[in-house]
Amino acid sequence: MTRLETPLLASLLSERWRSSAGRLILLYGAFFLAWTVLLIAMIDWQTYRYLEHVVDEILEQRVAYLSALDRDKLPGALAMTAAIDLRGVMSFGLFDADGRYLAGNIDKQPLELPADGAIHALANGVARIDGDRTGPSRGVSVRIGDGSRIVLVRTMTVIDRVDIIIRNGFTWALSLTLIPGLLGGFLLARGSLKRVRRIETSVMPIMRGDLGTRLPISERRDEVDMLSSIVNRMLDRIETLLEEVKSVSDNIAHDLRTPLTRLRAQLYRLQRDTPQDDTRGTTIERCIADTDNLLDRFRALLRISELEDIRRRAGFGEVDLREKLQRVHELFSPVAEDKRIVFTLELPAELTTVLADGDLLFEAISNLLDNAIKFTPTHGRIALQAVDEKAGPRIDVIDSGPGIPAAEREAVLQRFYRTKLCRNEHECEAPGFGLGLSIVAAIIKLHDYRIEIADADGGTGTRMSLYCQPSA
Amino acid sequence: MLVGMAKILTIEDDVLTAREIVAELTNNGNDVESVGNGHEGLQRALTGAYDAITLDRMLPEVDGLTLVTELRRAGIDTPVLMISALSDVDARVRGLRAGGDDYLTKPFAPDEMAARVEVLLRRRHAAAPETRLTVNDLDLDLIARTARRNGATLELLPIEFHLLEFLMRNSGQVLTRSMIFESVWGYNFNPGTNVIDVHIARLRRKVDAEGLPPLIHTVRGRGYCMGDAQ
Repeated sequence: MTRLETPLLASLLSERWRSSAGRLILLYGAFFLAWTVLLIAMIDWQTYRYLEHVVDEILEQRVAYLSALDRDKLPGALAMTAAIDLRGVMSFGLFDADGRYLAGNIDKQPLELPADGAIHALANGVARIDGDRTGPSRGVSVRIGDGSRIVLVRTMTVIDRVDIIIRNGFTWALSLTLIPGLLGGFLLARGSLKRVRRIETSVMPIMRGDLGTRLPISERRDEVDMLSSIVNRMLDRIETLLEEVKSVSDNIAHDLRTPLTRLRAQLYRLQRDTPQDDTRGTTIERCIADTDNLLDRFRALLRISELEDIRRRAGFGEVDLREKLQRVHELFSPVAEDKRIVFTLELPAELTTVLADGDLLFEAISNLLDNAIKFTPTHGRIALQAVDEKAGPRIDVIDSGPGIPAAEREAVLQRFYRTKLCRNEHECEAPGFGLGLSIVAAIIKLHDYRIEIADADGGTGTRMSLYCQPSA
Repeated sequence: MLVGMAKILTIEDDVLTAREIVAELTNNGNDVESVGNGHEGLQRALTGAYDAITLDRMLPEVDGLTLVTELRRAGIDTPVLMISALSDVDARVRGLRAGGDDYLTKPFAPDEMAARVEVLLRRRHAAAPETRLTVNDLDLDLIARTARRNGATLELLPIEFHLLEFLMRNSGQVLTRSMIFESVWGYNFNPGTNVIDVHIARLRRKVDAEGLPPLIHTVRGRGYCMGDAQ
C-alpha cells in the first residue's frame, strides 16, 4: 500500500505541482477545505443549539405536566411516559422526601442535578436502574407538593446522530468537489507542463548555438504562445546582431589581412637589403615575426567562420582514427619532447572507422594537442588516447597542466577567450591561444560531434574528450 | 643550383597584385610576362612557351579553373600555381583537381609565392623518377630508405626521412614552413607554435653532426633551405 502510495504522492508533490495551475488548485483546495470545516462547525453549533432548545422545551413541558398531576396519578403517568419512550431517550425517577426510590428507571438521585426546576446539562449523564449510563444529557428536577422529587433526564444522542449526518453530508460534498477539482488541476498542470517541456526541447538546439531554431507556437494563441512569440522575436534580433558582429569581425580580419601582408612584404624586402652584419636586422626579424603572428590570428579567425559556414560535407569519408592519431602523435612528439613532456599515445587494437572529414579531424586534434603542450609545464605529462564506445570512438587528450576551472570550460571554446589563469602571466602569451579551441569547436560542430572538458583523473590537469559520435 | 632564366606567365587581373608578383619574380631572376584577362592568358599559355604560370582563379572572360582545364586538355603540362581569394578547402581541392600544381590564397607573402614558383620550376626540370638523392656528402637512397652523411649511416625516423627527402629534392630552394607542412604531412592548416621548427631542429641534429659543414640552413623570416653554405 505504502509502496504504491509513495511514488504517487511523490509525483503529486513533485514538479507537476510546482506549475502555476497546480499551485492555484492546491491553494484553492486548502481554502475550500478550511471554509467547509468552518461551515460544518457553524451548522453543527446552530443545530446543536436548536436541538438543545427543543429538548429543553420537551423537558419543561413534561415536568410542568407531571408536577401539575395529582400525586397518586404520578407513577401511572411516569409508566406511561416510559411506555411511549421506545428508544430510551427519556430517563426519569421518582423519589420520596427522604430520597428513597419510588418509581422510574433512575434509582439514584443524581447529585449534580439540584431540584430547582431549571434545566441543567449533565455532561456525564446519569446511572440508570439497568446499570447503563445515559450519554451526555440534559435534566431537570422538581419537588412536588408532598416533598417527593421528580427527576427527568433526556439524552442528547439524537443531537449526536444529527451531528454525524451533517458531518457525513459535508464530507461527501467535500470529497465530491475536491477530488474532481484536484484531479482537474493535476491534468491542467500536466498539460501546461507538457508545453513547457516542448519549449524546453526546442530551446536545446538554440543553447547549443543553432540560433535558427524558434519556439513552437500552438494554435491556441494563449499566454504561453504570447510568451513564446516574444522570445522568438528576441531570438530574431539576437540572430541578426550576432550575424552582424560576425560579419564585422570577418570583414575586419579580411580587410586588415591585405595591408598586413604588404607590410610583411616590405619588411621582408628591407631585411633582404640589410647587410648580414647590420644590427637592425634583428629588429626587422622581430617585426616580421610579429606580423606573421598577427596574420596567423586573422587567418585563424577567418578559418573559424569559414568552418562555421561549411554546410556541405564534401570532404567526408571513412576515416581510420588509429592512423590519424598515430600521425598527429608523430607530429607533436618532438614538440613535447623539447619541453620535456612525456607524451604517450594509447590506442586499442581496433577502432571503429568514422564518417568524417579526416583533414579537419587531424586539425582539431592538432589544436587540442598544441593547446595541451602550451599549458603543460616542463616535465609534465600528456596522454592521447582513444577508446571505442558503444556509440562510436572517443578521443581523449589528458594533460597535467593547471586545469581549466569548471566555470570557464564553456567559454574557452569561444573566440578570443583567455583563461584567467593566463591573463597577466608572461608564460601564457602564446600566439593564437584563444582561437585554437574555437577552431576545434567549429570542426566538432560541423561533424555534429561533442567535446567535453573535465578534470584529469587524479591530480591537476585537463581532460578534453572528443566524442566522435554524431548526435543525430 | 640555379635553373637559369625561367620564363613565367602571370595571369592576374588585379593590377596591384600583378605588379607585386612580377616584381618579386623578376627580382628572383626570372623573365616574367603579365596578362590581365583569362582569354588572352589562355592564348599565351597554349603556346607552351613558359616554364611556369601563376594563375588567378577569378578572372574576366575565362576563369582560372576553366583555363587550367583547357590547358591540360590541350596537353600543355606547364606547372601552374593557382592564386585565389577563396581559401576554403573545397576551392583548393577543386583547383588542384582541375590541374593546378599548387594553390596559394590571397593575400600572400610575395616571398612565399616566389618560393612556390621556384619549387614548381625545379620539379619541371627534374629528370625521371630518382632512386637516389645527393647533396654534398649527404646521400639518400630512396629504395633502401637509408641516409648516409660523410659515409656514416643516419638513424632516421620515417617522418624524418620524409622531411629530409623533401628538403633534398628542393635543395638550394627556400622552403617556407607552410610549404614543408603541406608537402611532408599533406595538411593545409597552421599547425601552430613551432612544430615545423622543432622537426627541422631534430633532423638537423642528426644530419648536421658536429664538425660537419651544416647543410640545413635557416633563412631568416622565410623558412629553410638545404644545400652548401650560402
